[in-house]
Amino acid sequence: MPYNIASVLPLHKSRSLANKLLVWSVTSSFLNQVRCLVFEFHLTKLTLLGGIESHIYQLSSKLIDRGHKVIVITHAYKGRTGVRYLTNGLKIYHVPFFVIYRETTFPTVFSFFPIFRNIVIRENIDIVHGHASLSSFCGEAILHARTMGLRTVFTDHSLFGFADAASILTNKLLKFTLSDVDHAICVSHTCKENTVLRASLDPLMVSVIPNAVVAENFCPLSHTTTRAPDQALSSPTDPPMSPRIIGPDDPITIVVISRLFYNKGTDLLIASIPRILASNPNTRFIIAGSGPKAIDLEQMLERNVLQDKVELLGSVRHEEVRDVMVRGDIYLHPSLTEAFGTVIVEAASCGLYVVCTRVGGIPEVLPQHMTTFAKPEEDDIVLATSKAIAALRSNKVRTDRFHDQVKMMYSWRDVAARTERVYEGIIGDISPEEFYGYYPGQGWDASGDRVRSFALVDRLKRYYGCGVWAGKLFCLCVVIDFLIYVFLEMWFPRANIDIARSWPRKPPARKSLDNQ
Amino acid sequence: MTSPSNPLPSSSPAGAPNRDGSKSPEHERLLPDPDRLAPEDAYFAPALSRVRSAPTNYEESLRSLNGDNASHIGSAAALRKKLGAPRRRKRKGAWKKLLWVKQSYPDNYTDTETFLDHLQRNPRVRPYDFWPLVADSTVIVQHVCSVVIFVCCFVGIVQDRVSPVSIVCWGSVGTAVGWILWDNWIWKEHEESQKEVDRTAGADDGSSSTSFASVAEASANDIHNDDTKINAIHGLGLSMSGNEPKEQLARRSADFSDTLDTDGLQTEQHASFPVPSNPLTGSTGSTDTTMLHDTYDTFRGSMLSPRNRQRLTTVKSALLIYLSLLGLSPILKSLTKSTASDSIWAMSCWLLIMNIFSFDYGSGEGAGATTKFPASLSTNAAVMASTVLASRLPSTTHVFSLMLFSMEVFGLFPIFRRQLRQKSWTGHVVLTLTLVIVAGGAVGVTLSGGWAAAIIGSVLGSILTAFVMGGCSWWLISLQKYKNVVIGPWDPARPIIRRHWN
Repeated sequence: MPYNIASVLPLHKSRSLANKLLVWSVTSSFLNQVRCLVFEFHLTKLTLLGGIESHIYQLSSKLIDRGHKVIVITHAYKGRTGVRYLTNGLKIYHVPFFVIYRETTFPTVFSFFPIFRNIVIRENIDIVHGHASLSSFCGEAILHARTMGLRTVFTDHSLFGFADAASILTNKLLKFTLSDVDHAICVSHTCKENTVLRASLDPLMVSVIPNAVVAENFCPLSHTTTRAPDQALSSPTDPPMSPRIIGPDDPITIVVISRLFYNKGTDLLIASIPRILASNPNTRFIIAGSGPKAIDLEQMLERNVLQDKVELLGSVRHEEVRDVMVRGDIYLHPSLTEAFGTVIVEAASCGLYVVCTRVGGIPEVLPQHMTTFAKPEEDDIVLATSKAIAALRSNKVRTDRFHDQVKMMYSWRDVAARTERVYEGIIGDISPEEFYGYYPGQGWDASGDRVRSFALVDRLKRYYGCGVWAGKLFCLCVVIDFLIYVFLEMWFPRANIDIARSWPRKPPARKSLDNQ
Repeated sequence: MTSPSNPLPSSSPAGAPNRDGSKSPEHERLLPDPDRLAPEDAYFAPALSRVRSAPTNYEESLRSLNGDNASHIGSAAALRKKLGAPRRRKRKGAWKKLLWVKQSYPDNYTDTETFLDHLQRNPRVRPYDFWPLVADSTVIVQHVCSVVIFVCCFVGIVQDRVSPVSIVCWGSVGTAVGWILWDNWIWKEHEESQKEVDRTAGADDGSSSTSFASVAEASANDIHNDDTKINAIHGLGLSMSGNEPKEQLARRSADFSDTLDTDGLQTEQHASFPVPSNPLTGSTGSTDTTMLHDTYDTFRGSMLSPRNRQRLTTVKSALLIYLSLLGLSPILKSLTKSTASDSIWAMSCWLLIMNIFSFDYGSGEGAGATTKFPASLSTNAAVMASTVLASRLPSTTHVFSLMLFSMEVFGLFPIFRRQLRQKSWTGHVVLTLTLVIVAGGAVGVTLSGGWAAAIIGSVLGSILTAFVMGGCSWWLISLQKYKNVVIGPWDPARPIIRRHWN
């Protein structure tokens, strides 16, 4: 049974990852094809750690491999408009949008509906999958898709608190988006707890599907040789390369790749570097990334005269991250909040021992033997780093095995398969009993709110509960949206919209996968 | 089943009765409002207790699924079963909150044992008690009363009922008394902490730098006290004469450091206490300066006692402020003369309200105490209010008196009040009572004049204040039940950094 998968893409500048991602996926169940829509896709702008764009790209292409059809809808950029195709037939619509500031669009709510409806009908979309929580694009698309009777999925990549005013607004917006969504996907269990609380969702309607890394792009130095075909043949029989022995006086290099922002823990980094260097001779730092805290970092280096021990690389392109990482032995990640922390997986994949703070979803990401955890305190980070250096010096850590282990843990193929199950569940290919858990004798009620009905009254009920004032406002939006939809159906009848031809499809890789 | 934590109306008709039925009394207390986001619902609601028993049931269903792989080819459980061999073993195990392990549970599995187990509600909320709250509100009452007294004095001056000179004389006498008291407290405290430091440092007074270094190392607490105190001393100087004393101090200490062994002192200092090397930048800079000054004082104590030096500085500052105000009065008098009186009244009203709302009512302890001392917005608003008011007065003497009085009321009096509150609670209460009575009397006199009106005003004002204090405290306590702070691992961590580099 082929599936349609959608991937989503955020348009993400060098700012917070969490802010602008949307993925829309659409499947056409009657055609048994999967279609995906991605929003805000901008591959050329992949910045350092641009996790969400690559997330959508990787997920989309793996879903296409599994026989789904995926399209991505995103904003038009300067020099990037119209319809484009990427590798594997991934089709990207760059929708013209009124851009206010730095590719942030004005939340017009309805203006995007006509073109969205046209694309959805043209591509036979079944599922709309939105990414990111702050983009108004994503919320609008989910609203319109529900009005049109499509199933929707939302992926949340970010964590938000509940205390400050910005969070309260964001959470209201999220609640609006998620009130009527069919399923939500979070990147870690902590992220799931957060999303469930923020949007008052049923926990069973939220799946946890982690990010993944393309392990081939993050090989340790020693692995580059095994790529050669002759060695690849012999490697299964050869014993794995003996681990690099680090003597007590060999230099240890600590790598930090992070945007230099407050919430990335740059203050902790600045405070601990001199102490780490003082207590551990023969240690060096390589710091890549830029941001408002860069000036503090440089001042600290000058004040302590550490320029020869700390190398600042400035911001690094995503494809160069691996080359920086393999120069080090330890990856230090002092972040203060993190939903998943793809970068520590990448670091471990490069064979680095990881020292990270125990915040957000980070403790779930890597096994104990690859990491040393620290509290987000200066003293503890210094202690943990010193411990990690000691562990490496005593050669207790088999960092040479990390790459293969990480490869087993995270792969986009796995992510695509799990995402596919979500699509099956909401489309109805998997029965709700199975999808949401089957508990014989517990009085399972399949007509519950988990299978979201498309009836306008039911949708209004869900939106009405969002808040005293917000609920009424949201209901108004839904009603207007519905009227616009009726109007569009009359003035631009479906029959007049051409159906786009699909990209010629490779034989689905799915069958062979299942048979493995 | 409806979502347990979903407050949507569509779910509440079915969900609410169940929830009420299953609530434990304790749970009820924590959840006063069923419409609110109530994370504990994830634990207690019946919908999830079903899930709690799920693992065993789930095993069965999974087994049935596994026996029938072909028809459920898409299910993640079946799919994953094939992907990894160790899973069969793991499947027996409990669900783990980990992402790197491939588990046999579906992705949307919600483990009731661990789900939201790091969530904390109202973790740092300490319920208010009535009387402590009333006691704390005296700080606000004091400030509001001083503003009221100031306004009444102004009205008296404008209406020619009170002589401005008498007001400023009384004000200055009060300020002098307050300063003497304050001076006493500060130096007593200083001596105590000095003694303590000497004790911990092994009484090595031969070299000031050594004693300073041992201060830095001896105990963080001592340093903190010392800092606060020195800053307090310095703060007074600042508030009285702007930058002048700071520069003087800096200059003096610089001179002194030159004659002394500058390098040795500074190296020692920087090795033991990484404050910025530039003594004239920002607030830390002034700390640095005062520290140098401090060491200087202990060193040169024989020539002129540090206490007298400090007094001399203060007197100098006071004199300076007095003279500059005197010189500025003619300018201030005509500064806003061209503005209509209506605008002046409205503006000064808003400025005084701003003063009341932005005033730093804190106790001066804890983080940020030194930086916000006193909140400059508040002081500036008050000074500006008195400046615009001064232009309505007829003569230079009037203007000078009002400005000086406002400096005393808004600049110096808060420092004294803060110190008094720390030193003597009785004094604080007595001061509050006095202020309330005086303010009430002043309002009475202003409104209708005469001693009778003053007494009636005092009585009414006191009663009203008591009621407002009690009522507001009670109101605040009754609002506490709406408090719902939710924190968990998703909140950005607060980094704990021992040393500050900026």
